[in-house]
Amino acid sequence: MPPVDDSLTGRAYWRSLEEYAGSPQFRDLLGRAGEAIDPDSLGYSRRRFLQIMGASLSLAGLTLTGCRRWPEEKIAPFAQRPEGRVPGVPEYYATIAQRGGVAHGLLVESYDGRPIKIEGNPDHPFSLGASEVWDQATILTLYDPQRSRSVAKGPGEALAASDWAEFEKFIQEQIAGRKGDASSGLAVLVEPSDSPTLARMKARFLEAYPKAYWCQWEPVNRDQELEGGRLAFGRSVRGRYQFGQAEVIACFDADPLYFHPAALRHARDWAQGRKSADEGRMSRLYVAEPTFTTTGSVADERLPVRASRVPELVQALAVRLGVVSGQAGPLNGSTAFIEKLVTDLQRHLGRSVVMVGPSQPAQVHALVWAINDRLGNLGRTITLYEDPAGESPTQTEQMRELVRRMNAGLVDALVILGGNPVYDAPADLNFAEALGRVKHAVHLSLYQDETSHRCHWHLPRAHDLECWGDGRAWDGTASIQQPLILPLFGGKSPIEVLAMLLGEPADGLAIVRETWRGHLGLNFDSAWRKALHDGVVGGTAYPQVQAKPQVAGVELPPRVEGEFELVIQPDPSLYDGRWANNGWLQELPKPLTKLTWDNVAMVSVSDAKRLGIKRGDVVKLAVDGRELELPAFPMPGQAPGVVAVTLGYGRTHAGHVGDGVGGDVYRLRTSGASHVAAVALSPTGGHSELAMTSMHFLIDPLGERTVRLRVGEKGESGMIVREATLAQYRAHPHFAKEEHGDVRLQLFEPPVEFNDPHAWGMTIDMTACIGCNACVVACQAENNVPVVGKDQVIRSREMHWLRIDQYFKGDPEGSPDVVHQPVMCVHCENAPCEQVCPVNATTHDSEGLNVQVYNRCVGTRYCSNNCPYKVRRFNFLDYHAKDPRGGAKPWLGMPDTQQDQMVDRLRRMVFNPEVTVRMRGVMEKCTYCVQRIARAKMAARNAWAQGQRPDALVRDGEVITACQQACPTQAIVFGNLNDPNSRVVQHQKNRRAYALLGELNTRPRTQHLAVIRNPAQT
Amino acid sequence: MATLGTIQHEAPPVDIDNTHDDPRHRAPLVTGDNDFASVTTKVAQLAQRPPALWWWVALAIASSLAGLLLALIGYLLTTGVGVWGTNIPNGWAFPIVNFVFWIGIGHAGTLISAILFLFRQDWRTGINRFAEAMTIFAVMCAGIFPAIHVGRPWLAYWLFPIPNQMAMWPEFRSPLLWDVFAVSTYATVSLLFWYVGMIPDLATLRDRAKSRLGQIAYGVLSLGWTGSMRQWHRFEKAYLLLAAIATPLVLSVHSVVSFDFAVSQLPGWHTTIFPPYFVAGAIYGGFAMVLTLAVPARYLFGLQQIITKRHIDNMCKIMLATGLIVAYAYGIEYFIAWYSGHHYEQSLFVHRLFGPYAWAGWLLLTCNVAAPQLYWIKWCRSNPVMVMIVATFANVGMWLERFVIVVGSLNRDFLPSSWGMFYPTWVDIGMLIGSFGMFLTLFLLFCKFLPVVALAEVKTVMPQAHAPADHGDLRATLGDEVRSGGRH
Repeated sequence: MPPVDDSLTGRAYWRSLEEYAGSPQFRDLLGRAGEAIDPDSLGYSRRRFLQIMGASLSLAGLTLTGCRRWPEEKIAPFAQRPEGRVPGVPEYYATIAQRGGVAHGLLVESYDGRPIKIEGNPDHPFSLGASEVWDQATILTLYDPQRSRSVAKGPGEALAASDWAEFEKFIQEQIAGRKGDASSGLAVLVEPSDSPTLARMKARFLEAYPKAYWCQWEPVNRDQELEGGRLAFGRSVRGRYQFGQAEVIACFDADPLYFHPAALRHARDWAQGRKSADEGRMSRLYVAEPTFTTTGSVADERLPVRASRVPELVQALAVRLGVVSGQAGPLNGSTAFIEKLVTDLQRHLGRSVVMVGPSQPAQVHALVWAINDRLGNLGRTITLYEDPAGESPTQTEQMRELVRRMNAGLVDALVILGGNPVYDAPADLNFAEALGRVKHAVHLSLYQDETSHRCHWHLPRAHDLECWGDGRAWDGTASIQQPLILPLFGGKSPIEVLAMLLGEPADGLAIVRETWRGHLGLNFDSAWRKALHDGVVGGTAYPQVQAKPQVAGVELPPRVEGEFELVIQPDPSLYDGRWANNGWLQELPKPLTKLTWDNVAMVSVSDAKRLGIKRGDVVKLAVDGRELELPAFPMPGQAPGVVAVTLGYGRTHAGHVGDGVGGDVYRLRTSGASHVAAVALSPTGGHSELAMTSMHFLIDPLGERTVRLRVGEKGESGMIVREATLAQYRAHPHFAKEEHGDVRLQLFEPPVEFNDPHAWGMTIDMTACIGCNACVVACQAENNVPVVGKDQVIRSREMHWLRIDQYFKGDPEGSPDVVHQPVMCVHCENAPCEQVCPVNATTHDSEGLNVQVYNRCVGTRYCSNNCPYKVRRFNFLDYHAKDPRGGAKPWLGMPDTQQDQMVDRLRRMVFNPEVTVRMRGVMEKCTYCVQRIARAKMAARNAWAQGQRPDALVRDGEVITACQQACPTQAIVFGNLNDPNSRVVQHQKNRRAYALLGELNTRPRTQHLAVIRNPAQT
Repeated sequence: MATLGTIQHEAPPVDIDNTHDDPRHRAPLVTGDNDFASVTTKVAQLAQRPPALWWWVALAIASSLAGLLLALIGYLLTTGVGVWGTNIPNGWAFPIVNFVFWIGIGHAGTLISAILFLFRQDWRTGINRFAEAMTIFAVMCAGIFPAIHVGRPWLAYWLFPIPNQMAMWPEFRSPLLWDVFAVSTYATVSLLFWYVGMIPDLATLRDRAKSRLGQIAYGVLSLGWTGSMRQWHRFEKAYLLLAAIATPLVLSVHSVVSFDFAVSQLPGWHTTIFPPYFVAGAIYGGFAMVLTLAVPARYLFGLQQIITKRHIDNMCKIMLATGLIVAYAYGIEYFIAWYSGHHYEQSLFVHRLFGPYAWAGWLLLTCNVAAPQLYWIKWCRSNPVMVMIVATFANVGMWLERFVIVVGSLNRDFLPSSWGMFYPTWVDIGMLIGSFGMFLTLFLLFCKFLPVVALAEVKTVMPQAHAPADHGDLRATLGDEVRSGGRH
């Protein structure tokens, strides 16, 4: 597929005219030639149109060569089809995405050269087919109309348009001459990456510019973890945790199931140890943490504790296990937790994992290594790998050094390849000011962001799906990153820019192939093709480390004192802020708070009560004189004294979607206290309305009481959430069905007979669900679900077909349990929505799908009123065409919500062509991914027609719904209920399976599997 | 009629109290010293004389509000139903509340004209014309809302069973479809009934019209009425038949509207008491609206002797009776919620009184249960200010009742994760006010251009109609009985 500029904007056409005629008048006339032309801003008046047409005609006449045809467009039905290509049948390519320098294996679905959906690569050991929210959402960033479209020159608010040729001239004039000893004023700032090609290019770059300073920085880093390993082992290591083999898992302020480079694998392994509850055994998860994390939400034993107290807790554990000698400090209220944990760990020697999170000091990490060693876990449940960081200083130190050099005037040319240090560097370093002292600052990024506006050169970066590269998984397994599409805006990748700096052609493919030429053996071409096909290169893991930790003499750092401590975490949706312009992620209800379009200062419920703070009240946070105002959010299960905030908000140059959303926590984050800091909290009296998709917790007392009745008290089964402990489950295996039993009353036979060989059904295992939201974004991407914007979420009009209901059970001031209950249309056989629709727009098909006929729907919304699950979503406005941020207010300050002619040309490229894009006034809901069912049925029928299989039935596993595919814990199972051997039938036969609200006689096709917890016996 | 003139000079009290319950005396239905001619003059002059200043002021206000409604509908159609506060879970809110409210208002007219006609309640003649007009206008207001509340109003005609190339029929099991039939039938029959009953009076206006335009317009509308005995005979047969047809509709239309709720399975909606409860509520609310219009109208138009205190008194009593039925229905709802042992049902009714919309729940009980009890007191029924206050309470209460049923049930249903509040937008409120504007505009135009009292019918309940066929001086023959307006 050609770049957008050629096919859609005609930019090459005008530019070629200008090149042919070389007329400056024409350039003036066009006004914007040379600059990247936004296709949508090209609105010509009639007069202007005639001017330009006149000018074109005369210029064309002058040169006779100006008459050019538009770029060729291919139409779908080829007269002679290219071999191997079937129009309308998507192709899949394996590639990777990287975060924190670690690669995730992806499989990207591409329609006619247009990538539209990302899945995990089933062959990749750290994906196994699952994906994270960011993997899913990156496709939206690819087609973000606000991505940078051309090289630009700054600094300043408005960057001047430029192009790559001019930048090359700059390299010739300013950089190329510094080779050798003259390179001392040169510095390169990159995002950390384990990519072999980047490492090779770094080596080559430093060879050419030996005195240049090479710095790695990413705000969400694992510095302290790395330091801890060095402290314990004297070298850089990383642990590969085998949660599948661990029977006791203890996490101290760690979130291995969400914020970890290997989270997907962790979640898969962990879920194995949970689902085995049906066989009577189950792992037990202990979590001590300051505020709820994904991992904490599924803990069996959870202790809310101040982050600054975690080191003492770990030390107490170490003392009790005999790892270190000495006296444990006072354990105010934590004794029971530690005692239970100690007993459990001693019973499961070599079958446990103790883990501490990246926000804890290095000394704690060292202690935990020693504890794991004492428990015999190293080499069993934890494999140690050599970390590629080697001897290099931590990223924070590197950043500090870079700023020191910049301030000292030692850097006069800085090349920033990716990242956004002006926004996310530690506040005390004042990176922006230091950047002002650099004479030539070059910044490569996807957006013209905060850093771009302070640099002399902005270079558009190629999206991960647009460029060649490579990367390595958490254990070192390498993958090659292959582009799915040519760069839409002519962007380049970091390795290509490095090649340019070396004076070489910016040819990503050649650079990556060069790296791998040595590694892939003699038969390079076929090995290369295999590597691209598989998405992994076998046998490339890091060397394993056999070492014994030494922790003698390790002293805990001084504790953060003060009434309140600030706990700074990456955001579950926006991560470090790089996704700020991604509408899917902005509107993704955050786990546990269900908050969208905002970040908040989470305070414990008891603190909120004491200070009289209500949800949404604006509080002022002050850390060492740095102040920030954020809306407060009383968070159940948060440790008193903790104020938890997330990074990534308060962007000023993120793009239209992300600008000005939330508050910038980086302003409070210093290099010395990047995770925990003493903070002063004071209410300001202001109030800010928060957009939450679900607000049933901490409401009025009557509402809370009603929720408790329906969900059940802590440790008890409720009406809508069935749960039991492992012991109770063993004693009463049929507890989940006892509540209401099977209510199948029917005065008359249902009008639809389900006589089709296919009867689709689903199960959702709530024991395995960790509430990670991957399914929510996957559904949004697969089904063209629109983003509605903050004001619409406040009005309860979010469009997600799949939501993850969260219920807290127990005392919000203590440590409540959490239930994650994913709910989407359950496809009732006796569907209440169907008989009330006056126009027959929602009906049943013979395979049991409750189908919504969009073009028949007139939008009475009666179906939604009558749906007890409230899974139907209504297009109150024309959400696809509208700007989720409200946009222009042309009249009386009213937002312009008029229907647009069409969706932005670029944005609509992300649409799944197999799913209707719904207009306003139409009801929609989960379809069980009917397009995937149809595709599988067609394939099965074709295979049968060609004699390849005995019948036209779809086999189990041939239809995988988008949510099912994304789920890291495989909590969702979909299949044919008429196939007795299918997994879904096995799951529905599971004793934990129950029909949500089945007492209403809706006969849902989706069943939920009850929650089983495994608390320690007292 | 010189004698008549002298009596007028005596200036008797205009508003005569005829609410006495003396069984020896049948209370007169037209008070004062009126005969056929004076009644005709009093009513017809309203249409003949140029309107008063207050009429112009009221029309200006009402029609601007009606204009607001039309403008907001335009805004809605171009933008989408998102201009309202409607959301998920509150898929229905103001528009449906307004629809049910206006349909309910529309009940009193047909009840007065049809059911009371069949029951020979002669006092209905004084008020039936404008009560029916009110019905028509209320149904018009009601009809707007379901049409515009759908997401794609330009396709709303798909609700009608029109044969089409898609071979698609509507879903006959859907109560919304029953609504379409019920409301359109009701509107048609009510309009017909109103118009047929008005033909003799239109002929009167035609005969009295001075302007050419008036003569033509009333002439066309009166369908060549001459008042011949044969025409009277046919007219009365037709009127009786239409009354018989309209009577079941009074009961059916609101029963069907209540099915919108009762047939669904939402707690708070799914209840069998809804049809009778809705009908009683509609009559209660309809009479409240008739009173709201009648009490000021009889002063403003000088009709105190035709719409007498007795009429007001009777209507108050009907409100009291139907209000008690409504109160009983409320009680039964709460009782059954408790008695059913159904958690979702119970939680809903606790929420009605103590949930986020408790203010509406309590206000509703105040307006619909407490306020009408004042009508037990005779003074409250005869004091126009008190009558107006209670009727206004009832109007507010009946709107709130639908709000409590619709939003109060939707906002917290089965799964707590889906709970959500409804907040009206300015468009919601503007449309509610605008619908009142439209209603009043139509009503004011009706008062100006059409006979506000059924002249022909009123005359039949006057003593003169029952006098012996003596063509002499009626007064001389009948003496005092004419004065008291009694009837043989």
